[in-house]
Amino acid sequence: MVKAGIITFLGTNCERDTKQALDFLGWNTEFIWQNDKIEKHYDVIFLPGGFSFGDHISSGRIAKLTPAVKSLPVGKSLIVGICNGFQILTEAGLLSGALTHNENLHFISKVTDLEFQNGIIRLPIAHHQGNYTGKNGEEIIMRYKTNINGSDDRIAGIYDRKNKIIGLMPHPERAVFEESGLTDGRKVFEFIKNEI
Amino acid sequence: MKEFEAVVNVKLKDTIKDIKAQTLEQAVHNLIPVKNLKCRVGSRYSIKFEANDKKEAERIIKTIADEILSNSVIEEYEILW
Repeated sequence: MVKAGIITFLGTNCERDTKQALDFLGWNTEFIWQNDKIEKHYDVIFLPGGFSFGDHISSGRIAKLTPAVKSLPVGKSLIVGICNGFQILTEAGLLSGALTHNENLHFISKVTDLEFQNGIIRLPIAHHQGNYTGKNGEEIIMRYKTNINGSDDRIAGIYDRKNKIIGLMPHPERAVFEESGLTDGRKVFEFIKNEI
Repeated sequence: MKEFEAVVNVKLKDTIKDIKAQTLEQAVHNLIPVKNLKCRVGSRYSIKFEANDKKEAERIIKTIADEILSNSVIEEYEILW
């Protein structure tokens, strides 16, 4: 059984969605508080979406200084940042580049088509700073079908295989249950499981 | 210990598209005719603290600017004393 840790910061609001989705998929999950050092072993550690520290200064900027992020077991556990988690990973320098304000300056919240593993999937996106620029070496694993926010090369997700770090702007955890009308998130978690 | 006060101005690098500045330029053009208008948008932080000497104060403010106030991938800053 996959053992997953989900870091919760002040202002995180997708930790329960992530836990429910992973529990449904049969993973063993638990929360990790921002102020705790990560000492236990997890197969995968999620930095979920939300507004850590109110997005003050810039999205993800403050969370990068927490004990949990500073003690991330890079290269040992697979690390997955979703939305605000992706922003935290770039701010921490664990993934290259930066996520700047969307090109139209709007907060974009909608379901969108994405290119993923030679196919098209539909996932929700909800962000203000998702305009990715400055990739340096990571593999592009997900692209917006249309250039929705101004990201270089329509990038929606990247993967540093060497250090086992994934950053995704879309929300796969919001697309797992039939009741939500979207289940393509399962394909993303299947991909993550295979990369552990 | 001496008291120091620094102002840190942070803005996007010139090589990064400044969307807020573009919006500002558009608004200015709607407000008043201006020729060769060029705007950049940033943030100003005023920080007071105590340190043993100027050298230590400079080291402290540089750390704060590097780690919290700016992201060197897309932003640059200046420190004013």
